[in-house]
Amino acid sequence: MFFYYLRMAKISMVKHWGLSLLMILAIGLGIGAAMTTITVNYMMSANPIPHKSNQLFNVQLDSWDVNEPYFDDGRPPAQLTYRDAMALMDARKAMRQTVQSQANAVIEPEGDDSIPFQVSARANSADFFTMFDVPFIYGGPWTRQADESKEQVVVINSEINQRVFGGENSVGQTLKIAGFYYKVVGVIDYWNPLPRFYDISTGAFNETEEIFVPFSMIAEEKINRSGNTNCWKPSGDGFEAFLNSECVWTQFWVELPDNQAWQEYNDFLTAYVQQQKAIGRFERPLNNRLLNVMQWLESMEVVEDDAVMMMAMSLMFLLVCLLNTVGLLLAKFLGKSGEIGIRQALGASRRDLFYQYLVESGCIGVAGGLLGLLFAYLGLQGIDSLYGEMTRGLTELDATLVLSAIALAILSSLAAGLYPTWQASKVQPSQQLKSQ
Amino acid sequence: MLSMTNISKVFQTDEIQTHALRDFSLQVNEGDFVSVTGPSGSGKTTFLNIAGLLETFTSGSFLLDDINVSGLNDKQRSRFRNEKIGFIFQSFNLIPDLNLFDNVDVPLRYLGLKGKERKERIEHHLDMVGLASRMKHLPSQLSGGQQQRVAIARALATHPRFLLADEPTGNLDTHMAQSVMSLLEDINTKGTTIIMVTHDNELAKRASRKIQIKDGRVSELDKVIDHDIDVSPQAIA
Repeated sequence: MFFYYLRMAKISMVKHWGLSLLMILAIGLGIGAAMTTITVNYMMSANPIPHKSNQLFNVQLDSWDVNEPYFDDGRPPAQLTYRDAMALMDARKAMRQTVQSQANAVIEPEGDDSIPFQVSARANSADFFTMFDVPFIYGGPWTRQADESKEQVVVINSEINQRVFGGENSVGQTLKIAGFYYKVVGVIDYWNPLPRFYDISTGAFNETEEIFVPFSMIAEEKINRSGNTNCWKPSGDGFEAFLNSECVWTQFWVELPDNQAWQEYNDFLTAYVQQQKAIGRFERPLNNRLLNVMQWLESMEVVEDDAVMMMAMSLMFLLVCLLNTVGLLLAKFLGKSGEIGIRQALGASRRDLFYQYLVESGCIGVAGGLLGLLFAYLGLQGIDSLYGEMTRGLTELDATLVLSAIALAILSSLAAGLYPTWQASKVQPSQQLKSQ
Repeated sequence: MLSMTNISKVFQTDEIQTHALRDFSLQVNEGDFVSVTGPSGSGKTTFLNIAGLLETFTSGSFLLDDINVSGLNDKQRSRFRNEKIGFIFQSFNLIPDLNLFDNVDVPLRYLGLKGKERKERIEHHLDMVGLASRMKHLPSQLSGGQQQRVAIARALATHPRFLLADEPTGNLDTHMAQSVMSLLEDINTKGTTIIMVTHDNELAKRASRKIQIKDGRVSELDKVIDHDIDVSPQAIA
């Protein structure tokens, strides 16, 4: 009977096309608005590294001012001081660890007619690439030995490789960065974790960097650090004083394979802070955090409150559209009371009628869902053109979202159709047949 | 075959209680052609709706093919209606959005027949009423008489044992009415039991049995042709 009901739905929708179009439009608008905001929220709250997000942990230590917490809700700073980060690196208590900071640099390509150009850079430890599953086209990460011996090595992305080396395997080539020569050890493929969890201090949805150099290059002053820096007391004069200050500007991540490793590392952090307290630092109560990727993103409220509010409002709009659809369906189905009476007289049970009109509601939902997808696409394009880089990667509909939109539309229309369908199936045939 | 005993039907509103049928008793045997006459508001249509399981009754007993229908749920009543009863209405009651083929197809769908058998039955019955060539037409493209013929084809397509006709010629001119009446008589001779409500005494006389309903009771029985008629006090009531 399903295909018969489908054919009846088609006939009914074509015959009453105006009313059907209104309902499809109402559902389409609701789904379009809802899917636009759901997409943005979904992308914002996606797990950027699902297969190992439970093994990667951001380290937070509360080295902040005793008189004033870093965050009003008591959370410790999102970044570490250079001295603490280096102390943790030197201890090497985790399976893998990386200290890192955003940087920028100017690349000076070889050749007389080549023009220097600025690139975004990241100064990090060797483990960064393995920990975060960075894909390589050529070569690979530098070694821990290279970190320790402060070798001038660089990993570049495929765009820089194309621009400077014409896309050839450039491993072993040298690249002049900020006046110093670096040996290319690896070229990475397109890599775009979203959110950019490993450093959200400068924006969780920014592009990944174009080049990567050892973290020691910052202390060596061979590359300029950039990004977010916060201090609660003066950092003193000179770069050396800054490195030893209480300013926080480095991100520190560890990879811990299991709960036991997590516990041991947490104990290590506690011991480290106690040790620092003994020498007069860390005056605030013990407040270490060792959060995995998703806990970290949630803690840092990567999904903006505005986005959540917008989503809530769009879902309410969808509800209003559905209530309109309920009214229109009710009008349509009760307008078919005569037909319902006839069908009952000819042997249709209430259940038969309920299914028939529910299928029609579902068809309207599918049509509304498809229209909603179009509206969602246009909405996302609109957001993209309004906010540009700020919403990079957040305005793309993937297969999951497309299927979700269709499912949401069908479920919504079925929900909207329940009451009118139930009412229609309750029509008393004897009253309809005489009045026809 | 159809046995109603002391059937009462009361329509209740907040302030008014209307007795549509009072102690209504009637037996109809297989092959009967029963005409039902009576003044407006006498309860003819209510009787027909109860007989067709379109409406429930307040009290009494109703056996259809020896089954007490008061104990049936909606699904069972629908099944019963679909398999055993055909309806013909004064206003034809074809579904306007469906062509003739699809209109006749409606009860066959609920009967659960396969496509091939449905098609054969539809074509056969439309052919029987002389409208096979117009099966793709919409009802609005037919005359009243033709629409009623389609309604008859639809009613007969499920091979019902009962045909309930509520003023089947009420919206037709004399010529068309005679034509439809002849068709019903022909159907009856082939074994289908017919109960026909009509205002037209001339048509009523053509039935093998004639009853009159007045104030919700069977007030008169008229034996037209030699049939077994229940003349018990209960039935006459």
